[in-house]
This record gives sequence, C-alpha cells and structure tokens, in this order.
Amino acid sequence: MADIQLGLMTRGQFPQGDDMQLRFEEMFEQIRLADKLGFSCITKGMHYSSWPLQDIQMVPYLSRVMAETKKMRLNMGIVLLALHKPLDYAELVATMDVLSGGRIIFGAALGYREVELKAFGVQKKEIVRRFTENIEAIKRLWTEDKVTMKGSFFELDEASCSIKPLQKPRPPIWIGANADPAIERAAQIGDCWYVNPHSRNETLYRQLEVYKRALDAADRPFPKEFPMRKEVFVAETREKAIELAKPAIGLKYKVYHSWGQDTVMPEGDNNLDLDWEELLDDRFVLGSPAEVCEQLLDLHETLGVNHIIASVQGAGMPQSQVLEALYMLGEEVLPNLKNA
Amino acid sequence: MSDMQFGLMIRGQFPQEEDMRKRFDEMVEQVRLIDKLGFASLTKGMHYSSSPMQVFNQMVFHSRMAAETKNLRHNFGIILLALHKPLEIAEQLASLDVMTNGRVIFGAALGYREVELAAFGVKRKEIVRRLTENVDAIKRLWTEDSVSMDGTFFELLDASCSVKPIQRPHPPVWIGANADPAIERAARIGDCWYVNPHNRVDTIRNQIDVYKRALEKLDKPFPTEFPGRRECFVAASREEAIRLCKPYLAKKYEVYHAWGQDKVMPEGDNNFDVDFDDLIKDRFFLGGPDEVAEQIIKYSHETGINHHVFSVQWPGMPQSLAMETIQLLAEEVFPKVREGM
Repeated sequence: MADIQLGLMTRGQFPQGDDMQLRFEEMFEQIRLADKLGFSCITKGMHYSSWPLQDIQMVPYLSRVMAETKKMRLNMGIVLLALHKPLDYAELVATMDVLSGGRIIFGAALGYREVELKAFGVQKKEIVRRFTENIEAIKRLWTEDKVTMKGSFFELDEASCSIKPLQKPRPPIWIGANADPAIERAAQIGDCWYVNPHSRNETLYRQLEVYKRALDAADRPFPKEFPMRKEVFVAETREKAIELAKPAIGLKYKVYHSWGQDTVMPEGDNNLDLDWEELLDDRFVLGSPAEVCEQLLDLHETLGVNHIIASVQGAGMPQSQVLEALYMLGEEVLPNLKNA
Repeated sequence: MSDMQFGLMIRGQFPQEEDMRKRFDEMVEQVRLIDKLGFASLTKGMHYSSSPMQVFNQMVFHSRMAAETKNLRHNFGIILLALHKPLEIAEQLASLDVMTNGRVIFGAALGYREVELAAFGVKRKEIVRRLTENVDAIKRLWTEDSVSMDGTFFELLDASCSVKPIQRPHPPVWIGANADPAIERAARIGDCWYVNPHNRVDTIRNQIDVYKRALEKLDKPFPTEFPGRRECFVAASREEAIRLCKPYLAKKYEVYHAWGQDKVMPEGDNNFDVDFDDLIKDRFFLGGPDEVAEQIIKYSHETGINHHVFSVQWPGMPQSLAMETIQLLAEEVFPKVREGM
C-alpha cells in the first residue's frame, strides 16, 4: 500500500492580450496554495513560439517559483531535449537541483513542432539521435568528474559539469512519449515513462504492454515511481465540471491540433480536432471530488501509475475557479489517495 | 552628474570541495544587502565546464535571486551568445523581464574557450557570425509579433517570442568586448559597449577612442548608459586591502591566464602572468575608502563610464570580507564619488 502522489501542472499559457505579470502573480498564489495543501510537485512544460498563446519559459519560471515552495518537487515536464545541448542542460538542471535542496525532476522528450526545430537548427531526421545522445551525455556529466564523448552534434573534451546535482546519483529522468517507439526508448534510457495526457485510456492500456515488454527486453524492473499527466476538472457536481471544462478544452486542443501534436500520436487515436464531447471520452479526469477520486484510483489500478500530475487551469479559466479546484483536490481528493 | 550607478558582480565560483548550498545562502545575504544599500544592479557571468571551480548556472541564478530583489536590475553579464540559439535566449530573458517588472539587462559576448565551443558544436570561425545574427534575431523577436529570418545556424519561420519583455522597446543590450574589432562590433550591434574588467586604464582609453570612432562612422550617439566592470576591494588602508585580497585575486588571474583570457586582449596588455604589483597597477580599484573613491572618480572622468560593476570576491575569499567591502563601498566610497563627480 503506497500513496498516490498528486502534482500540479501550471501551464502558464494565456491568450494574447492577457497581462502576463498579473497571470504570473496568480500562478504564484496557486503554487503557494498547492505547497500548503500537500501537492507533490509543480510542473511546467516547455514550448517556444507559442503563438497564439503567451507562455513563460520553463527554466526561469521554475527557478523563480522554487523560492515560493518548501516541499514540492519541481518537475521540468518536459524539456524538448533534441533542441538543446547536453552541457547547457546538465548545468542548468544541476544548479536548480542544488538551489532547491534536491527537488528537481528532469523530464525530457523529443519535440515535434517545425517552428521549434528550425529555430534551433535541428532537422527532423536528427531528433532521435540528438535526444538519445543528450540523455547519455547529461547522465555522464552528472556522475563523472570529466567526460570525453564525441556526439554527432557536440563534443565533450574533458568537459565537467560546473556544479553537480544534489540528488545522488542524480535527479530522476522522466521520458515523455506518445508513440510506441518513443515508449520503448523511454524504457531503455529513462528512469520511467512519463505517461502523456492526450491519449485515450484504451490506447494507454495497450501502450503499457509495449512499455513492459521493452523493460523486460532491457532487463530493467518496472519503475517504483510511474508518473502520468492528466487534465483534471473538478467541481461540486459532474455537470458543473463539464461546464468548467468546455471552454478550456475547446481552445487548448484546437491549438494543439494546429501545432500538430496529434500527428505524433498512435494511429486510430490521432485526431484532436474533435468536438469537446468526444474529447471527454475517458481522456480526462472530470467530475465531483468523489468521482475524480474514483477515476484517479482507477488509473492507479489499471495502469499502475502512482504519481498523477493534474493540469487544472484550462486556457482562459479564471483564477477563482482554479483556486476552488485546488482546494477540492487538496482537501477532498488527496486524503483518499493515501495508502491507496 | 549624480546619476552614477554602481553594481555588484557575483561570480558565484567556488573551489571544488565547497558546499554550494552554503555558498548560495551567503550570496543571498550579499544580494539582500546590496538591494537595501542602493546598488543599481546585480551581475552574474556565464561559464561552462568550469573545473577546477564550481559555478552556478547564470539563468537559474538570476531567476532564483529575483525572489530576493526589489530594486536591483539583473545583469546577464555576459551571455556567451555564440553558443546559444536566439529563440531560447529571447524567451528566457523576456520571461525574467516579466517576472522582475522590467529589470533585466542583456549582456552578450563571443566566448573563447575551446571546451565550451566544442560542447556546443560551434566552430571558432563561426562565432562572430553567430553572435551578430543572434543579437539581430533576439531584438526582432522582442519587438516584432512574428519573425521570419534565415540565419546561418537557425531559421525563424513566422516565429514569435512566447512572451514579450516589459521594457520597451526591449531590455538594454550590452556587448562585452576585449579586442578592437569586437569593440567596433559593439558599437554596431549593441546599445553600449560593456567595458571589460581586465585591461589597464591606458589600454581602455585607447579602446574608447576606437569605440567613439566606430559610433561616429555609424552616426550613432554615445550611449547615455556606459557600463564597465572592474575588480574592486576596499579596506581600512591600501596595505590592509592588498594583504586581505591578494591570495584570492592573484589566484583568479592565474586561472584566467590558464583559460587564455589574456590572449584575446590587445597587444601590449595581454599577459596576466606577472607579479601581483604589476598585475594590479591601473587595473583594479584597490585601497582605502578615500583612495578607491579617487580612483573611481578619475577613471570615470577618463572613460565616461557611469555604471560601474564591481567584483569584490574571488574564489576562496570568505563571506565576511565580501560583506565588509560592500558596506564600505556603499557607506564611504559611493557618497564620495557622487560628491566628487
């Protein structure tokens, strides 16, 4: 019997025209509340060129908000690692780990948007190699004093990580993955697969088998911590939760669809340009606190996930509703996830 | 002329065996003090693979430190911009500019260490083009809604900066430069040249002539804010100051020499491998309060620099010495400089 951890993802994405300083103050308020209520982590995603939404960059954001938290872990969920250089992120993440007292989770995934790849001078055919080599280099930089490694796009020549992470041997590495080959890669190079929030449950049941087979093939045990992200809409009643979800889901998924997120998802479950009613179909956690609790426990039983990271603020959702949802999750749902 | 600004550079470099969490707590103490004492800016440099020193990452350091400051500007002094991609830096700095209500300074320079260039997949012959194109792209990303630009090492294809900086039109762009061609480039692409800390006064005077000629050729005015960095240490007397700081300051310049920093400096002033007395001559602000105030006044008159960024602590130097120098600067040196200007 172990606890199911419940984390909070603050997307930090807001429509053009919103006052980002005001939005940022609101996110601070959410984070301080989540820390007090016993949420496990604060999660921030990474996107560049986020038009038509505004977004705050992950690294400055998590580095700044760590000062507002005492207990929560800080989840970089996820770094688009194929765009970056390993020495840069090894040192960034290690510094964050030291300054937060060892509370960093390093999440990484490939990235897929053309505008991002081009802006970083990366070709689509290179991304898997860049990603895999970067993970290897970062692990080595964190654990070895001097690293010599000739990558395809970088060369470490007796390079050192200027500061070593506080967590030993190193911070956990969560690999975000949508497609089957990416899940197999997560089994090979990550500490765990960080289950994506966009797929239907039936798809995930199948992919869990893909993951387990890949772990077996790599002779690795099932991870102790198995995390998943989910959109969570909680209100007094299911009807109110649906009302809450409508505008938020509609806008957000239209943007994802226009970015091409769904084209990297598995066949038969790769069209996010649907009516919101269809999107509800077991893709989200939604309902009264009791129903939400039941759905989270169900995810734990059927998929084995024991760390669920909830995005509660759909694009355009006002602060008052977000805080209300956090209170409900913290006071009515979290206690029932202990000793699940 | 009373709007002289003073800033503190925190190197954040410590010997291998030290506890970086303790050192960070000390730096927080320094930052809170200077924010309270009326310093204008907090500066942090950028280096990778810093062995035998430990170093905090600049972006993380500034972002975390922003929780401790109310007034200080956060100076990225400097970003090794040839190593990076413009969209990354534009969005990170804009995010912090939003979170600090417009207190970010964007400092940039080339970088020179082989280990850094190789680790970022950058060839030495590319660095000038990378720097120049990156500065151009970042300014455009900060000021235009949608940018298309075909760079040599990146392509912006209707790209947008996810959040726009608070400062309009954009945060100040300070260009660090040691060599003459780099100074001419600073005149071309920067809001100002960020005068480097390593040269002797006579060298800097010559270089300012280079800078002024370059500005004139471009028909650009001399910048209203003209920043320079300098090593600085104050104690009760000159003897005391030298006795206290010499072990750490001398060591730091040995490391610079080993890294090859002095090799990129102008002919005739490009060797740190000299006796300490020769090293400090006209290169650092060093001495008792009155003496340092005079040095700063003279230097300001000779150069026109009106934003001085001081480093007062070198690897291994205890916290108490840094705190004392900061106090002495704010209480005994700055008022004299303001009066004397």
